Amino acid sequence: MISDADLIDRFRGHMLSRDNAAHFRGRLDHQLLIDRCAECGVWHHPPAPACPACWSMSITPTAVSGTGTIHLVIFLHQHAPIPGFDDAMPYPVVTVELDEQPGLRFTGTMVGAANDDVVIGRRVRLDWIDRDGEPVPAFRLAEVAA
Amino acid sequence: MISTHNPIKNTVAFAGAATTGLFPKNTERSQTSYAVEACISVLRQCGLGPDDVDGVCGSFPMAQRMQETLGLTSVTWFANPHIPFINQVAAATAAVSAGLCQVALVYHGAYRLPWNTSAALRDPFRAADASIPTGPPNPDTVAGAIGYTAWASRYLHEYGVTKEDFGLIAINDRSNAATNPTAAMREPITMDDYLSARMVRWPLCLLDMDIAVDGADAFVITTAERARDLALPPVLINAVTLGMTARNSEDQIDGLRHHGQQVVIEALRAKSDFWIDGADIFFPYDGFTPIALNWIENVGYCGPGEAGDFMRQHWDPATNSVRVNGRVPFNPHGGSLSEGATQGSGHVREAVHQLQGLAGDRQVAGARTALLTPGGFFFNAQGLTLVSA
Ligand SMILES: [Zn+2]
Repeated sequence: MISDADLIDRFRGHMLSRDNAAHFRGRLDHQLLIDRCAECGVWHHPPAPACPACWSMSITPTAVSGTGTIHLVIFLHQHAPIPGFDDAMPYPVVTVELDEQPGLRFTGTMVGAANDDVVIGRRVRLDWIDRDGEPVPAFRLAEVAA
Repeated sequence: MISTHNPIKNTVAFAGAATTGLFPKNTERSQTSYAVEACISVLRQCGLGPDDVDGVCGSFPMAQRMQETLGLTSVTWFANPHIPFINQVAAATAAVSAGLCQVALVYHGAYRLPWNTSAALRDPFRAADASIPTGPPNPDTVAGAIGYTAWASRYLHEYGVTKEDFGLIAINDRSNAATNPTAAMREPITMDDYLSARMVRWPLCLLDMDIAVDGADAFVITTAERARDLALPPVLINAVTLGMTARNSEDQIDGLRHHGQQVVIEALRAKSDFWIDGADIFFPYDGFTPIALNWIENVGYCGPGEAGDFMRQHWDPATNSVRVNGRVPFNPHGGSLSEGATQGSGHVREAVHQLQGLAGDRQVAGARTALLTPGGFFFNAQGLTLVSA
């Protein structure tokens, strides 16, 4: 397993802590780990050391299916330069309501979709992109059933 | 469980308010310099000297720096709560009420820094002042101010309205700023100007976002009794509150109908002696246009998604701004969008001046009550009601 120091170095653009380290370790394996309560099963995000539903401190970062529905969407028309960043503007950022639990959301970019198709209510699934060596969770439109 | 208990009601007062003016450019002065100028100004207006101030509460700079700079002889209470500015007002009000201090100097230094305008990096002192990021910025987020852009998309989606509703806030503010000599932007704008403004993060454009400025506001908060002995008319704090919900991260709040604003409204309304029917002026915070629309709806002027229609119904063609029932203005100083991004200190300063009768060309005739709702949705929604003494 990658050391704590190396993990922090791999994710220099993020504020890593002991509470979210497992989530970022998961990213290295292309696993989206979201905190889940071992007592009552309720999910929460961002990572935190206690369950907001039952106050248990027994929290298990757990992989989610990665499927969900676009809840919020913005398009960046400008952004500071980032190594390995696809600077094609407007750049979509979506907040996806994950299927695991109502109100449980994760924010990332969209890949493989025309911006006109990135709208609130569309179904999406998790994918991964590489940004200058950093695995970044992103979303794709879910295949439409035939 | 929201308490309706309000023992501070009308026992603590603003004795004065002062500003340096707000400038939408990198001036060759420090943030501390502006804050100190505003503090000296308000203390002189109130007739107070360095021996009279025993409380210090600001955003930037740190209280100890302010005390030393002004040579305040004996300070028994000080704090630097997080912005927006009602955090400072609430802390100082509580401290005065509890007797931790009697005369609190309360201030906010607004300053153009790289987090609110990249142009700040052209000033080597500002660039040096910025905390050095350990890695490249992350674009895949709605954390921080971007959260309002994200919920703006939801506002359009849920309520089936257009960006023109956002534009009404921008136009109202700019029209009002025309009579405010300290405002950063005073040229009137049209809906065409709004709709053709440069897009920054869809759905919000340049005119949806407040203007980064250099400048400062300062206030004296003291007991109502002491304020009556000072030089200016006191403005009494009727009620003050902050508000948060259990899920307050930018992308995790329950939704537009349940975030910090609803908590603020329930508490403030229960604690105050008046509400919208009795308010002579309303200050919906406008760091981003959709925040103001939400406040207009949440205080009860209209239902969810109806703020745009409400503003159109109460639009005064003569001033090209809102006058509710032909009378009550929204953000008569121009708000953060036109006066400058003050984290609410500009709204508070304008309210105090209006209720003191010191608002110059934009004085609202006979104004005796003001309802202020600074801050946004997440961990920064706030409320304040003020009455003339
Ligand atoms: Zn639990």
